[in-house]
Amino acid sequence: MDPSFLIPAPDAIPVHWFWLQLLLTITTFLHLVAMNILLGSGCIALAAPLVGRGGETDALCRNIGAKLPFMMAFTINFGVAPLLFLQVLYGQFFYTSSILMAVYWLAIIGLLIAAYYAAYIFHLRYDQLGPGRSLLAGIIVLLLTMVAFFFCNNISIMQLPESWLRYFAGGEGWQLNLADPALVPRFLHFLASAAAVGGLAVAVYYERQRRKGNAAGESWISYGCNWFTVATLINFPIGFWFLGVLPSLAHNVETLAGKLFTVVLYGSVAAAVISVIHAQRRRVYPAAGWALGAVFFMTLAREFVRIAYLNPYFSLADLPVAPQYSPLFVFLIFLAGAGALVWWMVKTVFFAQEVK
Amino acid sequence: MNYPVWQLDFAGGGLLIAVMAILHVYVAHFAVGGGLFLVLAEHKGVRENNPDILAYVKKHTKFFMLLTMVFGSLTGVGIWFTISLLNPAATSVLIHNFVFAWATEWTFFVAEIVSILLYYYSFDRISSRQHLIIGWIYFACAWLSLFVINGIIDFMLTPGSWLDNGSFWSGLFNPTFWPALFFRTFLALVIAGLFGFLTATALQEAGLRHKMVRFCALWLLAPFVLLLGSAWWYRAALPPQVEEMVFNRIPGLQPYMRTFVICSPLLIFGGLLMAVRTPAAVRRSLAAGMLLIGLIYIGAFEFIREGGRKPYIIQDYMYANALLKEEIPAVGQNGILKSARWARLSNIGDDPGRAGEEIFNLTCLSCHSVGGPLRDMRKRAAQMSHQGLEFVISAMGKQLPYMPPFAGTDEEKKALIFYLHRSLLNKPASGD
Repeated sequence: MDPSFLIPAPDAIPVHWFWLQLLLTITTFLHLVAMNILLGSGCIALAAPLVGRGGETDALCRNIGAKLPFMMAFTINFGVAPLLFLQVLYGQFFYTSSILMAVYWLAIIGLLIAAYYAAYIFHLRYDQLGPGRSLLAGIIVLLLTMVAFFFCNNISIMQLPESWLRYFAGGEGWQLNLADPALVPRFLHFLASAAAVGGLAVAVYYERQRRKGNAAGESWISYGCNWFTVATLINFPIGFWFLGVLPSLAHNVETLAGKLFTVVLYGSVAAAVISVIHAQRRRVYPAAGWALGAVFFMTLAREFVRIAYLNPYFSLADLPVAPQYSPLFVFLIFLAGAGALVWWMVKTVFFAQEVK
Repeated sequence: MNYPVWQLDFAGGGLLIAVMAILHVYVAHFAVGGGLFLVLAEHKGVRENNPDILAYVKKHTKFFMLLTMVFGSLTGVGIWFTISLLNPAATSVLIHNFVFAWATEWTFFVAEIVSILLYYYSFDRISSRQHLIIGWIYFACAWLSLFVINGIIDFMLTPGSWLDNGSFWSGLFNPTFWPALFFRTFLALVIAGLFGFLTATALQEAGLRHKMVRFCALWLLAPFVLLLGSAWWYRAALPPQVEEMVFNRIPGLQPYMRTFVICSPLLIFGGLLMAVRTPAAVRRSLAAGMLLIGLIYIGAFEFIREGGRKPYIIQDYMYANALLKEEIPAVGQNGILKSARWARLSNIGDDPGRAGEEIFNLTCLSCHSVGGPLRDMRKRAAQMSHQGLEFVISAMGKQLPYMPPFAGTDEEKKALIFYLHRSLLNKPASGD
């Protein structure tokens, strides 16, 4: 059977696809940054007491624990928007893949609720937990890793309509795409990125403390920078593995998408290398800036890879458009308003704290 | 019929969405009404210069945050996940038509999260005026979220002129938008009182406990008259055919209607009882009981509202089984198996049982479970003879207006009856 027959007819979009793609890319970037900090710092809270520095890590883990619920809130919140824009642009693929792996997909909600409450317990009951902290940190990391694995699977199934044919052999919502050679490197690439960004987030936090005159946690700046460096270096071979199993169309420089993919790929590698150099010189803020640049380039690369994967079946320009621009303008006005409110609230609370 | 089917059997008929939605809607209304409760309780503490009330507000905020931000937010995402698995075609219509309504709602969600976190963590760190402003921002954003979501939910019940003009604004500000918004706002205030009982009755100091329980009782009782008034307005705003369907034509909705009617005085009576000074243990048990009644109350309302759309999922546009109204003639001509992209069989062939099961999965499973608690097809079909089944399927969309018309060919109808009668129930071929 030709899988293209199975692709559902898409509904009309209200504005030119570029607007939706732009919003998808920006919000995915925000989500990935929050997710990386959440999962990466969770890994550090798990690993730090077990490897090397034993009891000295208490303050570090306590600090990470205090931030985990916030990061969880923002990871989920920033995940909602790209999920929305993804559905508008690629709903016919995404709903299908979600149904094929429905059991795992719906399980994500339960996993996230469990991880979220576990993060609050880690934060609010830190002292009472005692040695159970490592166990709880391990549970949080495990739950989040499962969520990441299911997300990778959904994107894999979505991008490979050939894999949809297994529906007809039964399965009833239990389909994963383990046969996709890109699945494991994609998943590991995300995990290594998370570990790296988590390390850098720790370094940024303690650098900020140092600049405010609190030198107590200065050694954690180096610790975080080293996490970042090691995880990034590990990520390079994983990245090349991932690159090697992508469809040739993705990096075919004769196509526009292939050209753009190649540019952002080199951009992300360069940004990551510069970031590592800064991190090794303990120049934390520039390192963070370049690391964000690398994540942004990788976000763009993901979009170009998706376009390449779906190229035999679909192009964004094929989407029917029923133009209605006024809701977009209303959204942009409220986005600016919400941004201003958030800025005012953060300024009010943090300025007051610093004065105190 | 554009998408594959997640064959749930026992959990079919909308059980998953019912469980997820009722729990979410209860907590989501608390997230709105509870926001106003927090700021007005803090105003009371500031006005009376009472640090004990302010300490209670801080404690209640922690409970509020843990419940609404974690469970409330994620079950909201859970509803989205669930509907896209059970009815992706309808979800796609809602997402594509209202993408910027959802996106705007997301901006409120961002501000809600930031404001509630800062509200909780800045007690005693900023001036009470600034703290109250942050509380008000939270409430405004939570209510605006309700404003947007309410429009999309009611669009499904009464799409109004959107059916003709396809306009975003016609769909959002549909005929039941305003009454539903008032109804849900007052319901949110009532629910804030119910959840308030839970934390207020746990207070140790008897004087403060009594004071705060009475404060919560006011939240429950004061909006109730307005809630009932807006319910009446909501009913009056329904198009006549929808009102007739909800209140007279769908027998399955009557138990929910009765539950809703019974729970209203129970909540009022319970609220009055809570206001009377009774032993702490009695009040605590009563608070838990009231919370449960509140859940049943909102559950009954949601079942009525969802049921009221029948036979559609988007009134007059898309049937509950995802068939578009305009598609019916073409499907009738070509057959269900040939029209559905994801059908496992393209014709009946020599296995009518398998073909019938496929037709059942494609067109019936969205409303009927197999052996489950919601509209169990096994139980219903067991009560019918072969001829009875034939009559019911032919009457769908006509004498049985709350069911979508059977869209398939005569052969497919026979295959469906064969599946229900022979394969599912193992009845003899003779019929009865």
